[in-house]
Amino acid sequence: MQIFQYILLGFLVVCAISVSFSKSLLNSILIYMSYSLIMSIIWILLESPDLAITEAAVGAGVTSLLFFVTLKKIHAMGEEDKKEDE
Amino acid sequence: MQILKWTQFIVGTGMLLFGLLTFVVQLLGVFKFKYVLNRMQAAALGDTLGIGISLIGLMILSGFNFTTLKMGLVVVFLWCASPVSSHLISRLEATTNPHLDNYCEVSDEVKKHLEEENNMQKEEA
Amino acid sequence: MSKQISEEEYRKRLLVRMRQWIAGEKDPYLDNVEITPQQEYVPNKKRLKRYQMDYDKVRGRVYDTEHNPIYRFFQRFYRVAALVCCLLLITILLVEVSFLPAVGSDHNPTNNEVAAKYIEDGLQDTGAVNIVTGMILDYRAFDTFGESNVLFIATCTVLILLRNDKKKGRESAEEEEKRDSFYEPKNDTILQGIASVLVPVIIIFGIYVILNGHLSPGGGFSGGAIIGAGLILYLNAFGFKKTERFFTEKTYKWVSFTALTFYCLAKSYSFYTGAHHLESGIPLGTPGAILSSGLILPLNICVGLVVACTMYAFFALFRKGGF
Repeated sequence: MQIFQYILLGFLVVCAISVSFSKSLLNSILIYMSYSLIMSIIWILLESPDLAITEAAVGAGVTSLLFFVTLKKIHAMGEEDKKEDE
Repeated sequence: MQILKWTQFIVGTGMLLFGLLTFVVQLLGVFKFKYVLNRMQAAALGDTLGIGISLIGLMILSGFNFTTLKMGLVVVFLWCASPVSSHLISRLEATTNPHLDNYCEVSDEVKKHLEEENNMQKEEA
Repeated sequence: MSKQISEEEYRKRLLVRMRQWIAGEKDPYLDNVEITPQQEYVPNKKRLKRYQMDYDKVRGRVYDTEHNPIYRFFQRFYRVAALVCCLLLITILLVEVSFLPAVGSDHNPTNNEVAAKYIEDGLQDTGAVNIVTGMILDYRAFDTFGESNVLFIATCTVLILLRNDKKKGRESAEEEEKRDSFYEPKNDTILQGIASVLVPVIIIFGIYVILNGHLSPGGGFSGGAIIGAGLILYLNAFGFKKTERFFTEKTYKWVSFTALTFYCLAKSYSFYTGAHHLESGIPLGTPGAILSSGLILPLNICVGLVVACTMYAFFALFRKGGF
């Protein structure tokens, strides 16, 4: 179980770094979502299921949903398609 | 009794490993394919099948108790939710991509239906 | 026997005016504060040029380091003063820290007394089997009240920023929603069928998590988030027309207001009695039963309601600019 925790912590660090280094905003949000999911698994391993439920529902669910809607509002989602078409 | 336990362990572990293998194949597909619909198919099929098989493996491993029932509920929930979300994404791609027939075969019926839907949306807006 | 008064006099009474204000019938500032519509800004080039010239002149005179000794003095004085202030603050903080017990030492009060008190007396004091809930809704209930208020304020801020007030025409809320969900599949049969199965299950699970907050992991916040997610799924499947039957701005206002007020009153009562060593009169019940642990269950329900409404309101405001 200790090794599993180390692997998860490694994933966490990689996710946290790659959020800020990814070029497209959509990718950043997806990576942030996976960060939240890994964090909720770590909360379960640390024996605090209360936080795990909240993290999974708020961090992975509602926050990223609101981020997606915001991206759509500021028209930042379709940019890449246009570039690809050109 | 001992034999029953061993069979339970072997069957459960085997199904769990098979589910993980499905996930690996799914991930390969997602990264290998180029077009959205192909990727969606790999992701949706792999996700549904992999989660189902690995959770059933876990159910067999845990034996018959209340946890098994909860896991069964999780399987039912995910089998309801996962295909529908993939269906929505694929449908969005099909309705918004004007050059759909460059990528795959589209029968005339489907084409007609999509055109009708597009026209309806344009009229509404 | 009550005296009959005229209609005008009746309308001037404080209670009547307050009721009108709460119900939103009358804007109290409408005829009392004079508001003139803002005129469109037209840049006047001549005037701008003169401003720029004046600005340059004043700037040239004030920041003339060679001929202005006062400016030179203050330029140096500010730097020295900033350095001295920073050093003073750092010294004070370091001296304070040196009086604190060492981090991680076994004899710290945080390491033995607080945790031991919560774990040993938690069940007896709060009646909650789940010690975490007992902590956040009994010992530290004031913090949770602040959290709920933060959620409410966040919704108010989003309301101010994103609310669509125009009643008709191109920029109205309906137009906005139509433009926003232009590409989305509408009335998708598969989604609607699955949603009608899943949404009740999700909402029931959320209610279960809220009601069992003091017995098992979970509580108001997580349960409220789950219910909010279920409502968002319902909205995405069936559209605003169906949700407006049961969730409008009025519902949001009343639910949040009632929940927060009840939370505040209940906790004030329990703090008042606790501070004066009075019997609070609220039975703790047998630990492990649903109706136990005093105020925790109603407080959980309040927090859950506020969180669920906030989640849904955020999504609706982002999508449509209204409920």
